[in-house]
Amino acid sequence: MEKLEIAATDRSPAVSFDFDAHHLKISGESYPEDVTAFYNPIFEILDQYLGALGEASCRFDFELIYFNSSSAKAIMMLMEKLDEAAEEGASVTVNWYYDEEDDTMEELGEEFGEDLEHASFNLEKMTG
Amino acid sequence: MLAQELYDVRAVMQQKGIMFAYCGYVTEPVLSGVGEALKQKLAIQDADTKTVRSVFAIFVEQMQNIIRYSAEKVPAGEEAPMELRFGLLTIGQDEDGYTVHAGNLVENADIERMRTRLSAIQAMDKDALKAAYKEQLKSTRPDEHSKGAGIGFIEIARRASQPIAFDFMAVDENHAFFALKACV
Repeated sequence: MEKLEIAATDRSPAVSFDFDAHHLKISGESYPEDVTAFYNPIFEILDQYLGALGEASCRFDFELIYFNSSSAKAIMMLMEKLDEAAEEGASVTVNWYYDEEDDTMEELGEEFGEDLEHASFNLEKMTG
Repeated sequence: MLAQELYDVRAVMQQKGIMFAYCGYVTEPVLSGVGEALKQKLAIQDADTKTVRSVFAIFVEQMQNIIRYSAEKVPAGEEAPMELRFGLLTIGQDEDGYTVHAGNLVENADIERMRTRLSAIQAMDKDALKAAYKEQLKSTRPDEHSKGAGIGFIEIARRASQPIAFDFMAVDENHAFFALKACV
């Protein structure tokens, strides 16, 4: 599949889905004007990719500095999709990177991560 | 005279420690612009990262509450593509930290539900807020805005360093002015 690259804006995160390398990443800040308009196309392409993943491995990195409550729902949906793919046999690793100066993001990582039943989850400090 | 009158308005705000005030119709681009200036101001003041992000997060939720729920509105029409909703938001600072106030009109019919919800949030400790945040996330989807008292208030309470305060004041037979205060 062709890579999905979306540049960050003031209000939306950078998205870098390198499907061939099975490395997907979302980073920056997320409080878009229209959460649905921003995330729906991402969900669609992710569904296509995960649907065809089979038993392959995939790594998803969250490197978020801030997200608003509307984006939180979208992030939870991303997690659910990843966990479903893992349930169906894929080997999915979810990494949640947080800024050590803001423990709110660490807490949120813990809260989202504890719902993953099939994917493996790592909570890591951001470096640099 | 003119300068004095306007200066007096500013002086009243300054006395209250207000460094930012927006009163008027709020749109998403207003949120972006005011938010950008707020971020810079907080950065210059050298507040710690967590404080800056918490003030900003509360600001975003408060502004979006006004955009979505203020009962004082101008509907979208032929010449105005966007519905406009009126509200007031201030950010102040004193020796104890930052305070974000937001106010807007609400329908009287919504007051009881909001009061119940906000009282419940006020009484929650950190762990209860976490649980409520998650429960709310699971019960709604991104394209739904839980009408009135959803996850935005919980996010505000989580980011605040002490319980949120709120109040309603009767304005006319159908409306009340709703005020919400959060300190970081």
